[in-house]
Amino acid sequence: MMQKLEKILMPIANVLSRNKILIAIRDGFLVTVPITIVGSIFLLISNFPLEGFLNMMTSIFGEGWDVYLGRVSAIAFDCVALLGVLSIGYCYAREKGLENRIAGGVVAMVCFLIITPQKTFVELEGAAEAASFSGFQFTFLGTAGMFLAMLTAILSVEIYAWAIKKKLIIRLPDGVPPMVMESFASLIPSAIAMTIFFVVGIIFDHTSFEYVHYFIYKVLQTPLVGLGKLSGFEVIYQFLSTLFWFFGINGPAVTNTIFSPIHKVLTVENYEAAQAGLEMTNIFTAGFSDFFCNFGGGGSTLGLVIMMAFLGKSNRMKTLGRLSLPAGIFGINEPLIFGLPIVLNPLMAVPFIFAPVVNTIIGYVATVTGIMPITLGVQLPWTCPIIFSGFLVTGSVMGSVVQIVMLIVDILIYYPFFKLLDQRYMQEESAAGNETDELDDLSFDDLELD
Amino acid sequence: MKVVLIFDQGLAGAGGKSNPNVGLTAVKGGIGSSLMLEPHFEKIGAQVAATLYCGNEYFQNNEEEVVKKMTAMAKKVNPDFVLCGPCFNYPDYARMAAMISTSILENTDIKSCAMMSVENGDTIAAYKDKTPILKMPKKGGTGLNDSFADLCEFMKCSVEQSAELENVRNRVCY
Repeated sequence: MMQKLEKILMPIANVLSRNKILIAIRDGFLVTVPITIVGSIFLLISNFPLEGFLNMMTSIFGEGWDVYLGRVSAIAFDCVALLGVLSIGYCYAREKGLENRIAGGVVAMVCFLIITPQKTFVELEGAAEAASFSGFQFTFLGTAGMFLAMLTAILSVEIYAWAIKKKLIIRLPDGVPPMVMESFASLIPSAIAMTIFFVVGIIFDHTSFEYVHYFIYKVLQTPLVGLGKLSGFEVIYQFLSTLFWFFGINGPAVTNTIFSPIHKVLTVENYEAAQAGLEMTNIFTAGFSDFFCNFGGGGSTLGLVIMMAFLGKSNRMKTLGRLSLPAGIFGINEPLIFGLPIVLNPLMAVPFIFAPVVNTIIGYVATVTGIMPITLGVQLPWTCPIIFSGFLVTGSVMGSVVQIVMLIVDILIYYPFFKLLDQRYMQEESAAGNETDELDDLSFDDLELD
Repeated sequence: MKVVLIFDQGLAGAGGKSNPNVGLTAVKGGIGSSLMLEPHFEKIGAQVAATLYCGNEYFQNNEEEVVKKMTAMAKKVNPDFVLCGPCFNYPDYARMAAMISTSILENTDIKSCAMMSVENGDTIAAYKDKTPILKMPKKGGTGLNDSFADLCEFMKCSVEQSAELENVRNRVCY
C-alpha cells in the first residue's frame, strides 16, 4: 500500500519540485516574505489589538502617528505584485542558467510596468470631465496584479533568455570591463522583451478589457483564487504537505509551488479589505495556514514533543523530547523528523498526517461560527510561538484559546501512537540490558587503541 | 549480516543543532534513523549490531580522535559492514562519514561506505576515490526509499564479494 502510494506521489513531487517555472514562482514569493513580515509588524503596531497601547502611542507621538507606519505596510502589501515580478524574474533567470540574473529581474519588472496603466483618472465634483494625472496606482501593483506579475516575469525572462541563447547580443572588444560587457550584452534581449510587452499592452488597450491586468484578473486570478475560498482548500494543502513529508519529501516545498501564490493573494486581499473599511472574508490566509494548522513544525508535532519530554518512559523518548522542546516551541522539528524518526516510520504516519487536517477543520469551524475572528491580512514569522501568534494574527485572545484547544486535540491524536513507540523503545532498552554479550558494555571510555 | 551505523547527533535522535557537542557514544542495536533503514535491512538479512555517534561540533574540534576511535570501535564490534550515513545534505556529518569510512577501509578488513547527497560536492570530490560514497537525495528530496534499496544491494554485493559489485558500484556511487 505504502509502496504503491509512493509510486504515485514520487512522479508528482518530481514534476512539481523540479519544474523551473514553478520553482521560480515559489522562490520568488519567498524573497518577498521578509518584506511582508516587516510590513505586517508596522501594520500590527498601528492596529495593535489593545486600546491602552494605542492610547499610549497617541499620548507620546500625537494624533496621526499611525499614518507614518502605513508608509511601510503600504509598500509591503500594495506593491506586492511589483516586488513579486522582480524577484520571480530573478529566480527564473537563475533557473534558466543566466549569468546576469538581476538583468532578468529588472527586465521582468520593466515589462510589467510597460503594460501597467500609467495614467490615473479621477472624477472631480462639478467638473465636466474626469481629471487625470501621470503615475501608477496601487490597485495595479498590489494583489490585483499578482498573477499578471507571475506571467510577465516568466514570459519576459523566457524571451530574454531565448535572445541570449541565440547570441542576439552586442559584442564589445576584449579589454572592455566585464560590467560594461554584461550591460551591453543585455541590450538587444531587453529591447526584444520590452517591445513585445509594449505591443501586447497596445493590443489590450483596444479590447473590451482595456488593460492586460483586467484580462488576467478575470480569466486566471479570479478562478484560481476562488479555489482558495473553498472550504476544502486548506485541508487538501495540509494533507498533501504532510503526506509528502512522511516519504522524506519536503511537502511544503512541493505543495507551495501551487498553493503559495493563492495564500498570498488571500492574505493581501484581507489587508486591502481592512484598509478600505470592508469586511475581511478570506479564511485561509498565510496567518491561518502558519498558526492554526501546525504547531511545532510540519505534522503539528508540538503535542508529541511535550508528551515525549514529560510522559516518555524510555530514555530515547525522554532525551529526544527534552532536547527538541525548545526548537519545537518555535516551530522547528527537524531533530524529530530524522531522530525519532517520523520519515518512513509507518507507526507515526497516521497522527503526523491527520493532526494538521483536524487542526484545520477546528480552525475553520471556529472562524465561521465566530468563536474566533477571521485572521488579519498580516504575515508573521512562522517561528512565532503558539498563543502569541494566535493573539497577534486574529487580534483577539480567542485566537490563543483556539490554539490551546488544538494543541490538546493534537496531544490526544498522538497519544496512542506515542505510547506504542515508547513501549517499543522501552522493550528494546530493557532487552539490551538483559542480554549478555560482548556488546552490552560498549563504551568509548575503555576503548584500547592500537 | 552484522551492521554498524555511524551517525551524527541528529540522526541518532540525540537532538539536532541544540546538542552539537555530544561526545563519542556507542549504543548496542539501532537507534534514531535506524528505524527508517530496518525494513530494507530485513530484506537482505542485515541486523544493526551497534550505533556509534557524536555531535557535529565535537567532531570539528576533535577530528583525529573521532576518526581513530570510531575505527577502533568498529574493529572491536567487528561487523560485516559499516554504514557511515545517510548524511543527506548535512555538510559536517558528510565529511565525518567520508573520513571514518576511508579510515575503516584503510585500517581494517571490514567493508564500509559513506552515503550523502550531491550537495556535499567538496567532500565527494575529496573522498570518492578512497571510499565508496553512495548517492541519496538531500533532506526533503525525492527518492529516499530508492536510495536505501540501492544501499542494500551494494552492501549485499560487498559482503558477498559478488561479481556484480563493480557494476552496482558504478551505478549507485559517485
